[in-house]
Amino acid sequence: MIFGEITLGHYLALSSLLFLIGLAGVILRRSLLIIMMSLELLLNAANLALVAVARFQGLPDPQVAVFFVITVAAAEVALGLAILVAIFRIKKTTAADQLATLRF
Amino acid sequence: MIAYLPYLILLLPLLAAVSIRVFLHPFPRISVAVSTFACLGSFVGSLGMLFNGSVSGEIVAPVLPWIEWAGFKANFGLMGDPLARGMAALVSGVAFLVHIYSIGYLEKDPSRSRFFAELSLFVFSMLGIVLADNLVSMFIFWELVGLSSYLLIGFWVERPAAGAAANKAFLVNRVGDFGFILGILGAWALFGTVGFADLPARVAGVAPGWAATAVGLGLFCGCLGKSAQFPLHVWLPDSMEGPTPVSSLLHAATMVVAGVYMLIRVFPILELSHVTMTTIAWVGGVMTLLPGLIACQQNDIKRILAYSTLSEIAYMVMAVGLGVTGPAMYHLVTHAFFKCLLFLAAGSVIHGCHDEQDIWKMGGLAKRMPFTAFVLLLGTIALCGIPPVSGFWSKDAIFAAMAHSPGLAVISMAAGFFTSFFMLRMILVAFCGEPKSEAARHAHEGSFFMIAPMAVLALLSVVGGLLPVEKFLGYSHASEHASWTLWLSLVLAVAGFVPAYFFYRRATQDPLNFVVLRNKFYVDEFYQRIFVSTQDSFGRLADAFEGWVVRGFLVRGSGVMARASGQGLRLVQCGQVQVYATVFILGVLVLLGWLWKQGALR
Repeated sequence: MIFGEITLGHYLALSSLLFLIGLAGVILRRSLLIIMMSLELLLNAANLALVAVARFQGLPDPQVAVFFVITVAAAEVALGLAILVAIFRIKKTTAADQLATLRF
Repeated sequence: MIAYLPYLILLLPLLAAVSIRVFLHPFPRISVAVSTFACLGSFVGSLGMLFNGSVSGEIVAPVLPWIEWAGFKANFGLMGDPLARGMAALVSGVAFLVHIYSIGYLEKDPSRSRFFAELSLFVFSMLGIVLADNLVSMFIFWELVGLSSYLLIGFWVERPAAGAAANKAFLVNRVGDFGFILGILGAWALFGTVGFADLPARVAGVAPGWAATAVGLGLFCGCLGKSAQFPLHVWLPDSMEGPTPVSSLLHAATMVVAGVYMLIRVFPILELSHVTMTTIAWVGGVMTLLPGLIACQQNDIKRILAYSTLSEIAYMVMAVGLGVTGPAMYHLVTHAFFKCLLFLAAGSVIHGCHDEQDIWKMGGLAKRMPFTAFVLLLGTIALCGIPPVSGFWSKDAIFAAMAHSPGLAVISMAAGFFTSFFMLRMILVAFCGEPKSEAARHAHEGSFFMIAPMAVLALLSVVGGLLPVEKFLGYSHASEHASWTLWLSLVLAVAGFVPAYFFYRRATQDPLNFVVLRNKFYVDEFYQRIFVSTQDSFGRLADAFEGWVVRGFLVRGSGVMARASGQGLRLVQCGQVQVYATVFILGVLVLLGWLWKQGALR
C-alpha cells in the first residue's frame, strides 16, 4: 500500500474535504437544488466523521447521532424539495440571488 | 335582647343605604320610604335605649374582637353610656325630621333615590361616631362621615361650584384628620389603650408632660377639621352649595358637632395638659367672634347661617377648653334644634323663592310665608340666647363657667352682640319691607312635609332648654353661678338688635360696607396664595419632571433608541440567503478561532 494503513486521520481528512466541498457549494452555487444537495454533502461529511470516530474509539454514541442525522436529513430533503417546488411555481425560478424579497 | 339594640340602631340606616343603592335605585318613592323608615327605626331604637333602665346605668353591647397586633388591641364595640344614648337619640331624631323635610324639598328632583341613599349612609356613619367605643372605630366612622358629607355637598353634580365645595370640604378635613390619627397613635403609645371606657383609668396613671400635650393637640386637630374651627373653618361656608336639608343636618345640627363630641369623649386626655386646654379655649373663644363679624356682611342666607354655626360650635369648643363638658353638650343639643330649624326655614325660603339665596333679592316674605317667618323668628331668638327659649339656658351654662376668664367672656359676649345684629339684619332684609325681586313676590310656603318638621323643631327650640338634658348627659349645673356673666351677655345680645334695626329697617341695599368682612378676612385668599399656589407650583414641577424626564427621556428615549438602532441595522439585511450563510460560517470560524486561542480545543 502506498499510503500504508488507513488511519482515523485519513477518514477525518476525507470528511473535512467533503465538508469544504459542500460549503463551497452552499455559498457559491446559485441553484437552490444544488445548494440543497450541497447541504446533504455537509451532513454526510459530518456522518462520516462520526462513524469513523465511533469505529476507531469503539464508542456507540456517535453511531446513534448518525442515525438521527440521517433521519433529520431525510425530513429536511422532503420539506426542502416541497418548498422548492412551491417557490418555483410562484417565482418561476430557483436561483438563490433572485429570491431576495426578505429584506428592507 | 336589649344588648343588641345599639347594633340595630346602627345598622338599619346602612341596610337602607345599601338596599337603595343596589335594588331600589330606579324607584324613588320606595327609596324615600325605605330611607325614612330606617331612620325612624333608629330613632325609636335610640329612644328605647334612652329610656331603658336606670339613666346612669350602661347598656353593654356585645363586643366583637377586631384588631389584635403586637400589643395593639382594638375591639369593635358600641357604647351605651348616657352620653352616647342622648347623642344617638338627638342625631337620629333630627335626621328623621330632616328626612321628612327632604321629601318635600326634593319632591321634583329626579335623583332623590341617590340623595336618600347618601343621607342614610350619613346617618349610619354619624351614629357610628356616636356609638363607637374606641378611637380607632370612631376614626373609621369619622372618615365615613367625611365621605357622606362629600357626596351630599356635591349632590347636584351638574353644578361645578358644588363639586369644588365638596372637594374643598374633603381636602380640608384631611388636614385635620391627619392630626387626629397622629393623636390616636399617640394616645395608644402613651396610655396603651384606644378604648373610651378604660381611658380615664389609664390616663390617671400618666404624668402630664409634653407628650400628653401633643396627643391632646393632635386629637384637637381632628376637631378643628370636622367642626370647622380656625384655621380649618374655610370649608363650611362653601359646603352650603349642597341641598339645604344637607346643610341643616350635616353642616349645622350633627356632623360638625362631631368634633365637640369627640373632644368630650377624650376629655381625660385633654385635661392632662394646661397648654392643650388653653389652646382649645382660646381657639374657641376667638372663633365665636370672627365668623360673627363675617356674617354681618354676607348676603347669602345660607352662608349667614353657616357663619353663625361656626360661631356656635366655637362656644362648645370653648366650653370644653374651659373644662365644662356638660354645658358644651347642653349647647350642642339646643343648637342642634334651633340651628336645624333655622336652616330648614332658610331652605323653605329658598324653595319658595325658586332657588334665590341672596337676601337682597327677597324682602316682604313675612306676608307670603308667615309660618316660615314665625319659626325663623323663634329660631333666631333661641340662637341669640334671649330667655326663656332654649339657647338662653345653654349659653348661660357656658357663660357661667367663664366667671374666672374675663378675656374669653368679653370676646364671646361680643360675639353674642354680633349674632343678634346679623340675625336681625337677615330677617329685616329678607322678610320685611317690599319684595325686591319677582321671585320674592311669588314666594309660597312648602308642602306639609316641609312644614311639619319645622313645627316640631320650633317646639323643641322653645322648650329644649327645659328638657332634663343634664339628667341624660350625666352632669350637674355649675353650683357657682356668677350673675354678672348672665346680665352682661343678655344686655349685649339685646343690644345687637338695636343697630341692626336702625340700619336695615328700610334698607334696599346694604348701608354698611366693610370690605375685610365681606371677603371673610381674606383667609381663603391667604390659603390660595400660600398653600394652593405652592402646591400648584410643586405640581407643575412634578408634571415637568414627569413630562421631560420620565415620559420624554426614559420612556420615549428608550423607544427612540430601539427604533433608531432598528433603522440602522435593517440596512445590513440584503435578503441573499447565501450571504447570510457566508456570514454565519465566518462567525463560526471566529468563534472556533477564539476557542482555539483559549485552549478549549486542545
